[in-house]
Amino acid sequence: MNHNIILDVQGLSVNYQTYYGTVSALRDVTFKLKEKQSLGIIGESGSGKSTLAFSIMNYLASNGSTDGNILYQGENILEKSEREMVGLRGNKIAMVYQNPYSSLNPSLTIGKQLDEVTIFHRNLSKKDARKESVAILKDLYLGDAEGLVKRFPHQISGGMQQRICIAMALLCRPDLMILDEPTTALDVTTEAVILDLINDLKKRYQMSMIYISHDMGVVNKVSDNIAVMYRGEVVEYGDKKSMFHKPEHPYTRALINCIPRSGIVKEEYRLNTIPGYVRKRSIDEGGCPFLDRCGKRVENCESRYGLREIAEDHFTACDRAFAKDVADDSLIPKKVDVIEKTEDGEALNIVNLYKTFNSRGKKVRAVDGLNFSLKKNNVLGIVGESGCGKSTLGYTVTGLLKPSKGKIYFDGTDISMTWKRRSPEVLKEIQLIFQNPGRSLNPSFTIEQIIGRPMKRLLGIKSKTERRERIIEILKQVDLGKEYLKRKATQLSGGEMQRVAVARAFVLSPGLIVCDEPTSALDVSVQSSVLNLLTDLQQRSGASYIFISHDLNVVNYISDYIMVMYLGRIVEFGKRDEVTSPPYHPYTEALLSAVPDVDPALTKGAVRLEGAPPNPTKKIKGCPFAGRCHKKIGEICENVTPEPVGFGEIHSIACHLYSAD
Amino acid sequence: MRRILHDLKSNPLAIAGFAVLFLWIFLALAGPSLMNFTYTEMDTQNQIAPPGTGGHLLGTDALGRDLLARIVTGSRSILTVALFTSFFSTAAGIIIGFSAGYFGGLVDKIFLRILDVLMSIPALVLAMVILGVLGDSTIMSLTLMISIAYIPATARVARGTLLTHKGREYVDAARIMGENNFSIMFRQILPNTLGPIIVEATARFAYSIMMVASLGFLGVGLQPPTPDWGMMVIENKQIISVAPWSVLYPALAIASLVIAISLISDFFSKVLIHES
Repeated sequence: MNHNIILDVQGLSVNYQTYYGTVSALRDVTFKLKEKQSLGIIGESGSGKSTLAFSIMNYLASNGSTDGNILYQGENILEKSEREMVGLRGNKIAMVYQNPYSSLNPSLTIGKQLDEVTIFHRNLSKKDARKESVAILKDLYLGDAEGLVKRFPHQISGGMQQRICIAMALLCRPDLMILDEPTTALDVTTEAVILDLINDLKKRYQMSMIYISHDMGVVNKVSDNIAVMYRGEVVEYGDKKSMFHKPEHPYTRALINCIPRSGIVKEEYRLNTIPGYVRKRSIDEGGCPFLDRCGKRVENCESRYGLREIAEDHFTACDRAFAKDVADDSLIPKKVDVIEKTEDGEALNIVNLYKTFNSRGKKVRAVDGLNFSLKKNNVLGIVGESGCGKSTLGYTVTGLLKPSKGKIYFDGTDISMTWKRRSPEVLKEIQLIFQNPGRSLNPSFTIEQIIGRPMKRLLGIKSKTERRERIIEILKQVDLGKEYLKRKATQLSGGEMQRVAVARAFVLSPGLIVCDEPTSALDVSVQSSVLNLLTDLQQRSGASYIFISHDLNVVNYISDYIMVMYLGRIVEFGKRDEVTSPPYHPYTEALLSAVPDVDPALTKGAVRLEGAPPNPTKKIKGCPFAGRCHKKIGEICENVTPEPVGFGEIHSIACHLYSAD
Repeated sequence: MRRILHDLKSNPLAIAGFAVLFLWIFLALAGPSLMNFTYTEMDTQNQIAPPGTGGHLLGTDALGRDLLARIVTGSRSILTVALFTSFFSTAAGIIIGFSAGYFGGLVDKIFLRILDVLMSIPALVLAMVILGVLGDSTIMSLTLMISIAYIPATARVARGTLLTHKGREYVDAARIMGENNFSIMFRQILPNTLGPIIVEATARFAYSIMMVASLGFLGVGLQPPTPDWGMMVIENKQIISVAPWSVLYPALAIASLVIAISLISDFFSKVLIHES
């Protein structure tokens, strides 16, 4: 193989001039990328990953200034004029962005947008351009390419849109493709398919790739080398195997160890966390970037260390990496005391629940006949792809939506109505924690007001001093100090905001908390601390959770019971270990195999789900999953709705595989 | 607040706008007492005097009245009416627009249709008809009239900003935490929508000045002897060929104030809407 260097980044620094002063976004970033090699870049948000991608495209915001060199095939990109860049961008260096929906023009057909690329860069005629476009779509295994080019972006699914974006990037046969979190906005099942496609394309098109992601598992799947970035610096760089098996920088270790993995459950382990959050770095701040959050720091960490080679092709910017005096505790999670559960009575009982929405005269069945109950002091995890009705269920339970049919009982009381008709006693008992804390906390209120209002309204605490005392107490429980009282939500980091949201829910001592993807908007390091917090508070208070998430590892960690939903129906329900081990519903099996793992040695069964769930406006005769199922038996799946089949006490699977005999 | 000041420093146009506005406010408050002449005083020696003659800095009109004194005194009424108009129309617009947008459904439809009807009549015509019926205009009736004419516009802006916030999760959170509709609308949502509403209020301030001037020009504004900029333009129209300054200066006064406020409004829309 020819190992020419295609991209050579030398001492790249990027600074932004802002109102708050000069912020250093990248500092002395150096790496080489060989031909046909793929580099994964990981780090929390604010690490400078995207800034790096944009500097390689020479496409920085106007307040950014650069220093250093980016040599692309020996030529310095940063010295090229805008006109020269036009010939490179999209032609030699292509980029795929995070959100496919906003990178496609909604008013042009897919064909037109694809044609433009070759018409512009390769001067093709309209007819030839269309031929190329159709050919590339076929190359990406998109069936009915001729039909697809006539459609508009909103007429196809998110996964398809992202494939169109990848096709667009490939049209000029680039030498280097930069993918900036291309699967973050997609479902796990779709993500798995896209990652497979990217791996396949890399081989077939023989190009180099830079893959940016915050997800270790995803990077593991698609890259040969990995660079870990933190606050604008590459802190560790090396070959994938040695990076995952022998991570040396404390930040890399912490990152790997804070992700909930399969097999890690709350009874046995506490998740590792990284205290603090990623702060912006001012230009005159020196030393190790990870200094303030590092558990292994010593005095001389305040001077900068720089990348050094510690093994073949493995570089680390920390001299503590070789230290023998620090115990390597980060790899072994600590045990927590198992708390005996008192399971007396049902917290929530849902009987034959339906919720339909009207959409342009058509009925959308978001929740389609649910029956289940949740015992007190337990956590029920709900998983499923987007659109499976898990959030609708959560909103119906909390009273934001009115059930179309069926009953919801909380502790024996009928609560099948909206918030308007619920009594303050019921409202107090059922709380909701939203996905995006930035949107669920009023931006113009102080933390004291945010937590204090519901205390005044629902608990009837009139005295301001009494409220303040209890707010300080609850803030302490979520690891926030008194000084937060007067701050506004907009001044907090994502993790702090979610803590405030948790405090707001718990201050009312509710019996049931619906957590609607509470950690999916957060960085992995913050996610683990919020998960620890939620687990602690649940065990201490005895509240029940409905924990909604698309991330099976997270659900697996926190739940006692798991419910798998597909198209508004329950396909599998049972205790955690029953659901995550065979016998599976085929859909559960597909979800489990789609989750990217962080161990490069592990290879998983490859069950891939093609396509999207069927249109929920149509009444489905048989099993809703029949169209995508890899274990379909035959006609029975399409014509007869499978009834749940019981395995043991609670575990049930709605599939003909198990009812046939 | 500190950020607004910081942004102001790098925006010379907005600084100019504020400077002109403050100058007019100063003149309106203190100006008349600094003048050599009162606004009704007729200097029979210096009729149609060009600027600078006989102590008349901006000249005189056909009756020998000092133009500067009349313009400065006129700024009092026009600023008062514009200030109160923008305040009342915004306040009423918030209440109407918020109720319509928040409750939605039939309430929203009815409000919107009423606003549509009001909007379909040109504000100037509407004002003229009502002022014609009411008889001589006073500062009170002018304020009331122009406020009503501007409510549809402010209500729509208020409704629009409310709708963008109504879907936010913090509103849902407030609902299931026992807040009532009134406090969700005015306690939870209103503070977050102030940006666009302030921008609209400043724009209404500028429009009100034009409206007062237009009504004065058409003869249904404030009645003599109160000096009114619009009225001064039309009064002096007959002598425009001999004394162009008598029309030019009141017109410039109107223009300077309107442009200054428009610049301020632009500035607010940049800082309060686009950057938040």
